[in-house]
Amino acid sequence: MNLKKQILHNAILDDNELWAEVKAGDEKAFSILFKRYYGYLIQYGNSFSPFSEKIQDCVQDVFTDIWVYRNSLSDTVVVKAYLLSSVRKRIVRLQQRDKIFSKTTSVDAVAFLLDFSVEHQLISDESTAGKVARLNKLLNVLPARQKEALYLRYHHGLNVDQVAEILNVNYQSANNLLHRALVNIRKDWKVDLALFLVFLTNWM
Amino acid sequence: MKNRNQYSEIEDFLADESFRLWMRSKEDSKGWEEWTLENPKRAKLVEEARMWLLAMEVPESDVSQQQLDAALQNTWMKIEKVEQERKMEVKLVQLWNTAWFRKVAAILVVGFLSFYAYNTYFNAAENYSNYEQIVSNLDEEGLIEQINNSNKPQILTLSDGSSVLLQPKSKLSYPKIFKGNERNVYLSGEAFFEISKNPKKPFFVHANEIVTKVVGTSFRIKAYTDESDVEVIVRTGKVKVNAAKLIRNSSQEEIVLLPNEALRFERKNQTFDKITDITLDKTINSSVKSIEQLSFEFSDIPVSQIFKTIEQAYAVEIDFPKKALEKCHLTTSLSDQPLPEKLKIICKSIGENSSYTMNGNQITIISKGCN
Repeated sequence: MNLKKQILHNAILDDNELWAEVKAGDEKAFSILFKRYYGYLIQYGNSFSPFSEKIQDCVQDVFTDIWVYRNSLSDTVVVKAYLLSSVRKRIVRLQQRDKIFSKTTSVDAVAFLLDFSVEHQLISDESTAGKVARLNKLLNVLPARQKEALYLRYHHGLNVDQVAEILNVNYQSANNLLHRALVNIRKDWKVDLALFLVFLTNWM
Repeated sequence: MKNRNQYSEIEDFLADESFRLWMRSKEDSKGWEEWTLENPKRAKLVEEARMWLLAMEVPESDVSQQQLDAALQNTWMKIEKVEQERKMEVKLVQLWNTAWFRKVAAILVVGFLSFYAYNTYFNAAENYSNYEQIVSNLDEEGLIEQINNSNKPQILTLSDGSSVLLQPKSKLSYPKIFKGNERNVYLSGEAFFEISKNPKKPFFVHANEIVTKVVGTSFRIKAYTDESDVEVIVRTGKVKVNAAKLIRNSSQEEIVLLPNEALRFERKNQTFDKITDITLDKTINSSVKSIEQLSFEFSDIPVSQIFKTIEQAYAVEIDFPKKALEKCHLTTSLSDQPLPEKLKIICKSIGENSSYTMNGNQITIISKGCN
C-alpha cells in the first residue's frame, strides 16, 4: 500500500469502522486507532498525575487489553468515550494500589489538574482578549470535577451520558455539574465585565 | 439533536461539533457565518459561545511522531507478552480438561490431605516431640549431654559464659563451643537459665514442642517428657517463645514474655496460655526455686554473706579464705548475671589479685584480702 492510499485509508475510516476491524483482528486498524487517540489519552491521563511514565504505561495497557481481548469487545461503543473511560479507570485502579502514585486516596478523588488555556491566535481585538482572559481565569478555578466534565463535553464532544459514565455518576448529576459550571461562571463573568467597563469608562 | 434555529443557550452551541470546528479551525461546512448574520440576537449568543471556546482551549498534546511510533511498538511488545502468558494458561486449562490429569490430580490431593490430617490429628497428639527425637535428628556435631541424676540441682557453665542450673532428672545438650550466628541448646526437664548478653548471637532453648529465644536474660523452663505441659517462666529481660518448626503453623505467633510473666504450652492441644502474673498461678508458684526468690542486690553486705546466697541459689559449695575476707563488705548488683559473671564481679570488687576456680559444684576463691 502506498503512502497516499494509506492516508486516504486513515481519513476515510471512522472510529466505528476501525473498531470493527480491530475486533476482526486487523493489526493495521489497531495501529491507526492507536495513533489517532494515543496523544489525547496521554493528555487526559497526565491531567490526573504528574507521573507521566506511569500514564504512558496505563494508556498502552488499555490498548493491550483491547487487542488481547478483542473478541469479547462490544460492537456498539463510542470509541472515544470507551478509551477515555478505560484510561481513567485504570489510573484510579493504579492509584488505589499504589499510594505513591498520587497523594489523594479516595476513589473519586483522582483530581483533574489540567488548566484551560486561551486560544490567542484567534483573537484579534483587545476587548475580546480581556473578556476571554477573565473567562479563562474563572474556568480554571472551578472544582476539578466540573472542569473535567466541561473538558469531556466541550473538548472531546462527548454527550452527557458518556460524561456521566466516565465520571461514574448518573445522568442528572453530570448534567448538574455541567450546567452549574456555566451558570456560576456567567454570573461572575457578567459582574466582572460590568466592573471592567466601569473601570474603563472612568479611566477614559 | 436540536435544530440550530432553536438554540437559545450557549450550551447548545458549545455542544455542537460543527460549531466548535468552525470556531476553532474556521472550517464552516454548515454555513454558520451566514446563519449568524441572519439575526442579531443569534450573533450575540454566537459571540459569547465563541469566547467560551476560546477560553476553554486545551493545548495540543505534545507527543511527537517518534514517541508515537515507540509507544505503538512498546504496546505490541506488551501484547505479545500477555498473549504468551495467556497461552500458558490455556495449556494448563487444556491439561486440566484431560481426564487422566484430573484423576491423577484428585488422587494426589486426597493423598496429601489424608497425610496432612494424619500428621496433625494423630501423629502430633500421640507423639509429642521430645528431647530424644530432637537431639537424634540433629546433625550438629560435638554436642555435650549433661544429665542430672542426683537429687540436687547442678550448675553448668556454657562456653559463652551463660549458666544453667539443671534440676534433678533433667538433661541438657549443648555444643562445647557455640559456632555460627546462633546459640542452640536442647533441654529435657527443668532448668534455670542465665544467659550472657550477646544481641548478635541469640540464644535458643529447644524444649519439647517449643523454642525459646533470648538475647540475654534469666528464665526457667520446665519441660519434662512425661508431663502434659511445658512452662517458661521469665525473671529478667525479655523472652520470645515459638512453637518448634516441625509443628508450627501459620496461625501461631511468637509470644513475647516480660519479667514475671510465664507461658504454659499444653502439649495435647498444642495451645499456648500466657500467664501475666505468675504469683497468681498455683502450679508455677509451687515450683519456684530458691534461685528465683533470692535477691542479688547487695548493699554493704559481708562477702561471706554474698557467698552464702550464691551457694543457696546455685547449689554449690564455695571455699574462700575466711580470715582474709573477714572484713570485706560489698555493694553490688548481681541480678541477671550468669554465675561465672557474678563470681568475676565479686573477685574484681574484692581486689585485683583475687580470682576463682570452678570444678563442678565446687568453687574456690583465691584472695589475699580486700582493698
